Amino acid sequence: MHLNRALIVSLAAALMVLSVTPVSFALTGPGVIRITERHVGGGRVDIGRPGPSIGDVQVLRELLYNTNITRSPIGRAELTCTYTGTTARHCVGTFFLPKGEIVVTGPLLYRQLFELAVVGGTGLYSNVRGTLTVTSLNSGSHATDLLLFRLVP
Amino acid sequence: MSGGVVRLRHSVAVRMVMASALLSVLVAAVFALEQLAVSSFRDASRQEARAKDVGRAAVGLEAVVLDLESGLRGYVISGNRRLLGPWRQTRAALPGRVADLEHLVSADPAQLERVRELATEIEAYQRDYALPLIAIAGQDPAAARTPIASAEGETRIESIRRRFTRLLALEDARAAASTASANSRSQRAHALGIGGLAFSAALVLVLGFYLAQSIGRPLRAMAAAAAELAAGKLSVRITGSGPGEVGELTGAFNSMADSLERDRRALETQNQLLLEQSRLKSELVSIVSHELRTPLTSIIGFTNVLLNRPLDQAARQRYLEIIEEQARRLASMTEDFLDLQRIEEGRLELRQELIDLVALLREQEQLFAAQSTRHTLKFELPPDRPLPVRGDPDRLTQVLGNLISNAIKYSPAGGEVELAGEGSGDVVRVRVRDHGIGIPADQQPRIFTKFFRGEAPTRGISGTGLGLALAREIIEAHGGRIGFSSAANQGSTFWIELPAAAKYTGAQG
Repeated sequence: MHLNRALIVSLAAALMVLSVTPVSFALTGPGVIRITERHVGGGRVDIGRPGPSIGDVQVLRELLYNTNITRSPIGRAELTCTYTGTTARHCVGTFFLPKGEIVVTGPLLYRQLFELAVVGGTGLYSNVRGTLTVTSLNSGSHATDLLLFRLVP
Repeated sequence: MSGGVVRLRHSVAVRMVMASALLSVLVAAVFALEQLAVSSFRDASRQEARAKDVGRAAVGLEAVVLDLESGLRGYVISGNRRLLGPWRQTRAALPGRVADLEHLVSADPAQLERVRELATEIEAYQRDYALPLIAIAGQDPAAARTPIASAEGETRIESIRRRFTRLLALEDARAAASTASANSRSQRAHALGIGGLAFSAALVLVLGFYLAQSIGRPLRAMAAAAAELAAGKLSVRITGSGPGEVGELTGAFNSMADSLERDRRALETQNQLLLEQSRLKSELVSIVSHELRTPLTSIIGFTNVLLNRPLDQAARQRYLEIIEEQARRLASMTEDFLDLQRIEEGRLELRQELIDLVALLREQEQLFAAQSTRHTLKFELPPDRPLPVRGDPDRLTQVLGNLISNAIKYSPAGGEVELAGEGSGDVVRVRVRDHGIGIPADQQPRIFTKFFRGEAPTRGISGTGLGLALAREIIEAHGGRIGFSSAANQGSTFWIELPAAAKYTGAQG
């Protein structure tokens, strides 16, 4: 009787330990992620004189696509950029992908082609490093960018 | 059958064919190895040539990519859209270049996969970088001229160049491996070829030595033996047989020499016989002269007396009887000679009549009993039992008379002459035994030889030496046998055996 109770307690403790231990699915080698994004919203907080000026904050909201797999969005991105000049900005953003999040940061001088540093991530991209190169494929209301993550675990 | 198989297995022809076949196989193997080496070299050369073609195509494609990058960079920096004309022409040439490269490596799936990956990356460079950058440069030249834009292009081009380098290195490595393999195979093939040729040469030497030993030597020995044989040395023989046909030839030579030696011995024996016969004939002439002269002298002498002297009737009668007796003796001798001639010519004719040898013996006993007072003829014949045979009564009488006459003549001291007869099974046997001078052992083998008389002439015993020879011919012509046993000074026993005309059983005696 005492033996059965001890066995049940031990099994319960083991299940509890397993349930709180995160399962590791981190990258094991260099990888490249090629996806596209479409601008879907955001806004700018205009501080100081009207128009882009130092201190303004711009928020960008994007939907992420991998058209080789599906036409539906596979994730989203949110970037917050603080103007450091009339055009220069410093951005911090998070890309929400199906298997994890990638956090980027860095300067943005020209919206058409810029590069940000990948500083970390979660899930599959835990502790990931690398670069994100963003190339504008077209402009306008349905602006589409090519995102190229070059990741190193 | 098995003997035939063994002969076939050991025949020189089969051995030569097997050796030639082995030599042919070796030469064919050497030729095949050399062909393999040549084929390997040809494959390696093809591989090397292909590697060079791939290298040329890859370098050409790489140059096109670099031209694209250079043209793009020129346009971005200068903003001159006219520079895009050559860029577009260069870009239009890309698919053909890629297709050429794919075609060259199509036989190598791994390299083909690498070329396709390379083509994909070049396509990505254009689609994801070059074309957007041209568009950006059109909208905002400053945005396209940033270090970030340049670095992205360099990164992509560098990645593409690394793929080119890897592709070429692998192609070169494969060509080098193929060449090394061809060299290795060629060296092995050459080594094996040289070994095969050396072995073939050794085999030829062994074959030559074998031919010299197994054929040449026996043939030389045979030639030497043939020369000796031709020189008259018939005892020469070849020792050692040799293989197959050579052995048969050696055996045939030895058989021929045996035959020649045997024939020469026979000729020598025959020659001896002829010489002996010649001697005997010379002796015969002397004997005949003497034998004929004696009765002829008597006949002539008594005839002269009868013609020239007056004689009373009794004397005339006695002289005439003497003349008749001598004439009969002459006739008998003449008859012997004629018989001998008939026998030698195969003209002796025998009648076939049923004869009782007992009766013949009794007739001869009566005939000879009165001829010598010193001899007693004693009979040992089965009582009231005939000894029937089939034959010529005159000839058999002649034989019995000859045997009894000899028994009397060769018993000069007189004594008993025993005549015996008996039947046993299918044979009738007659014996004539005397106790006379006998026949020395050294003369016994020739006792039935024509004209042989042994010691008779020196002992003054008359005769021609034909009696026993004729007796044997006559008895053998009747299907019988004649023989004797004798010892010097102990007398002789002559016997004849003839097929019985009726079967004798034990009960009949």
